[in-house]
Amino acid sequence: MNRDVKVAILTMEGTNNEEEAYLSFKHSDSSPEIVHLKKLENGTKKLGSYDIIFFPGGFSAGDYVRAGAVMAARIRSRLMKDLEKFVETGKPVMGSCNGFQVLVELALIPNLTKEYELEAALAPNMSNRFEARTVYLRVNRGNCLFLRGFRDGEIIKLPIAHSEGRFTPRDGNVLRKIIKNGMNVLSYVDDKGRLSGYPWNPNGSEHNIAGICNREGNVLGIMPHPERVFYNVTESDWTRHEWRPGMGYPFFMNAVQFLREKF
Amino acid sequence: MTEPKASTEIPVLNKTRDELLEISKSLHLGLSSDEMLMIKSYFENEKRNPTDVEVQAIAQAWSEHCSYKSSKIHLKKYIFGIAKEKVVAQGDAGLVSLDDDTAIAFKMESHNHPSAIEPYGGAATGVGGILRDILSMGAQPIAVTDALYFGTKTVKGFPSPKFIEDGVIAGIRDYGNRVGIPTVSGGIVYSEHFSPNVLVNVGCVGTVNKKKVMSSAISEPGIILIIAGGKTGRDGIHGVNMASAVMGSGEDDITTVQLGSPITKEPLIHAVLEANEKGLLYALKDLGGGGLSSVVGEMLEAGGIGGRVDLEKVPLKEKSMRPWEIWISESQERMLLAVRKENVNSVTEIMDNWDITSSVIGESVEGKRLQIFYEGLEVLNLVTEFMTSPKLYDRPRSVAERRVVQWLPKYPTDFKKLLVSSLSDKNVRTKEFAVRQYDHTVRGSTVIGPFTGIVGREGPSDASVIRPDWNKSSGVAIAHGSNPFYSEVDPYLGGMAAIDETVRNLISAGAEPLGFSDCLNSGNPENPEIMGEFVSMTKGLHDSAFSLNIPFVSGNVSFYNETGNRRIPTFPTVLGVGKVEDISSSITPDFKGIGNALFLVGVPTTDLGGSLYYRHLKLEGGRVPYSDPRVLKRRGWNLLKAIKSGEVASIHDISDGGLATTVSEMTIGSKIGASLDVSPLGLRTDFALFSEPQSSWVVEVRKGKEKQFTDHLGDDSVVIGYTQESELIVRRGEERVLLIDLQSILRNWKRGYS
Repeated sequence: MNRDVKVAILTMEGTNNEEEAYLSFKHSDSSPEIVHLKKLENGTKKLGSYDIIFFPGGFSAGDYVRAGAVMAARIRSRLMKDLEKFVETGKPVMGSCNGFQVLVELALIPNLTKEYELEAALAPNMSNRFEARTVYLRVNRGNCLFLRGFRDGEIIKLPIAHSEGRFTPRDGNVLRKIIKNGMNVLSYVDDKGRLSGYPWNPNGSEHNIAGICNREGNVLGIMPHPERVFYNVTESDWTRHEWRPGMGYPFFMNAVQFLREKF
Repeated sequence: MTEPKASTEIPVLNKTRDELLEISKSLHLGLSSDEMLMIKSYFENEKRNPTDVEVQAIAQAWSEHCSYKSSKIHLKKYIFGIAKEKVVAQGDAGLVSLDDDTAIAFKMESHNHPSAIEPYGGAATGVGGILRDILSMGAQPIAVTDALYFGTKTVKGFPSPKFIEDGVIAGIRDYGNRVGIPTVSGGIVYSEHFSPNVLVNVGCVGTVNKKKVMSSAISEPGIILIIAGGKTGRDGIHGVNMASAVMGSGEDDITTVQLGSPITKEPLIHAVLEANEKGLLYALKDLGGGGLSSVVGEMLEAGGIGGRVDLEKVPLKEKSMRPWEIWISESQERMLLAVRKENVNSVTEIMDNWDITSSVIGESVEGKRLQIFYEGLEVLNLVTEFMTSPKLYDRPRSVAERRVVQWLPKYPTDFKKLLVSSLSDKNVRTKEFAVRQYDHTVRGSTVIGPFTGIVGREGPSDASVIRPDWNKSSGVAIAHGSNPFYSEVDPYLGGMAAIDETVRNLISAGAEPLGFSDCLNSGNPENPEIMGEFVSMTKGLHDSAFSLNIPFVSGNVSFYNETGNRRIPTFPTVLGVGKVEDISSSITPDFKGIGNALFLVGVPTTDLGGSLYYRHLKLEGGRVPYSDPRVLKRRGWNLLKAIKSGEVASIHDISDGGLATTVSEMTIGSKIGASLDVSPLGLRTDFALFSEPQSSWVVEVRKGKEKQFTDHLGDDSVVIGYTQESELIVRRGEERVLLIDLQSILRNWKRGYS
């Protein structure tokens, strides 16, 4: 019998990708639970009782101010200690899209100094539009636990859907350190696998960065949505290739397997 | 000076016909003198004058928008009652059966007038409203769709077409994306007919366990009414009355447009579905046009029971609202839940958990009367049946004499130029600038979205397919049909063509069509010519759907889409849903392999009326291509057999721009070319390539399956060529008619988008 892996999918009003995240974990042999921030704030639920934390996409609090800022502020005021403790145990934490924005606002990534200081932001897309499309991504997996099972240099395809996804480091120094440490684990590339401009880089991200993992390899934030392509049949070009597991499948299986191996 | 908050008496007794009409005008009731006389006679029996709340409530219920008073007689005759055995349930939306346990709830409706006045807010709340209609059936929304019709000319006194277009697209984007339901399907049509009367037809599809389908009828006393969601404000007052009249200048009507809040809606959907899942709801209805007044009246009347409501218990945005304003406000994001006494606490607890405001406002009581109180004072006391039984009109109609002149176009000298002008036409080329602003993958269930093919060079799809349950292999296909250009020439054939296109699109995804929703757009019904067009259109819809034996389960009518001497053609947007038994066998239009045979299923036509070819030649009139539903059924259902047995590699229906455009579009997402020979088609080459025959498809058949395919399709199919590595070449026997490289096709189709 496999050890039960408990996943907290954190929501508040406006997060709206919890359903597909829930199902992706459910279909990865774990026990996900959609947890409203309210329940953590009033103590009905404890972060420490979960094995994996997932920050889903959406528009937390409507994103009428900077994306992810309100959700991050809410977490910082009441739950930050618990969350830092969780991260430091080495358990998996992942955010996609709005979840990535929240993780960056919380300074859990890149967190180069380990002081949880704000080192980057996700700025409005260069096109100034919401962009919904499938993108090519090059994997640079390093020690990122979510990417075990992918090959280094492998090109994968995932959907994106956001209007604020332009990864913008605070300064050149932060960018250099991210690259030097191999924390830029996913990069937007063109159909030939090269770093290219719009529309291949859909938001104008610095150095084509689509995803960042912390140095310890357990906190991943990415703009694309692996939870929307857990199965092959929801990929935008699936009618052109043979059946195989969805491109998003490994992200979830890797996290669950990692947890079972290490904890 | 502070306004008196209680209600006032409206003197109608002893008033003349003219005086009554004056009252209707001054209170913005939009009622005719005949209708005012009906009110007068009702209150003569009651031996008193009505209150302002009462006349406002009646005006809401009797508006064209709420009562369908000009269309109901014709809808009953032509639209309702087809294939009844296939309808699972009907209410705010209609339901058909997906499988043993699951029903598909769907509806399309217009939000035309609000969008013409305030494009952003009007379109956003259109999405909000249609979502609530699906939710009202207890169903989880799985997809939003929209068919948009934009003008191309600036009309004095109205915003520019570009302003309207950008506003509408942004409204759909900001609402749909925030609420987290994928916007997967739809279309955009450009024509000067839609200046300044923009049309925004929005659809929504949901799924629900058949045992959990909600009704809106309350049929026993003691059922508690709870209002949940957004607070009630002054936005959207008299919206239905505004939508039931010819538009003046937009400025005057701005307060009639509601304000939307998608992040209130998102948790409201969760909360209502959770309460339904737990079996805590007795009945359910959304607050849309006419507000509380329409909803409470209709819920009670549907079950033949009376009720009482205490207006001061309605949570308000603005404290100073008067009782009649509270009663008819169309503020957004509100649902009315009818709940048994013992479940009230559980329901309000669920609402609290999702941070949703809710309040008990009344209950059902024995009898036939609805009573409304404001701080203990009775402000309304009416027999519900009187309110919900407006005068129905069989308005006079005439059929315009239409002399069909078939212009014979001059034989074209440059077919490549013709194809390029078709591919890059605003009505054909990619709509990515709009559609890629809509999230079409949220919920992770989109099997086929609006674009398909090689990543980075996707082409168009015909229908979308959603997998509502990750544990099952079944899918829901969603498609539209409409052609205002055909309808302008011939409303009857235009109606048939809308059904034909919807069915073609569903078949193209490998889906069996199950049901339709009809969103009918027209001008002023008091004009006999327009009423004549309206009836012709509904006859066309009827003749197709009846012959196919597929029901209309929901829909709406939008009259009065005219301003000054400018009006829209009378035409339908049809939303269709279909069933894909196994999503892994659903199919897309991009070519799949090199050297596969290409078949035309269908026959080109000499009827070019309303076609893109005619429009480019600036030719008017002509005969609109005829859709024969028996042929549609035969070809369509035979194609489903061929798809099911794995013979079809790709398929795309023939629509705007004809065969040449269809084949070109199949090269876009595939980077695979084709070689065609049109000589077997017989007709002149321009007719073969650019006519828009109904019930027709281009099909790429897998190698070795050609015999099986022709066995399925019989004489309906003819080989017209094969796929090849690069270029699209068209020959007529030995003569080369057209050669175009794939990059040019891609570039022209993508024109205007980068």
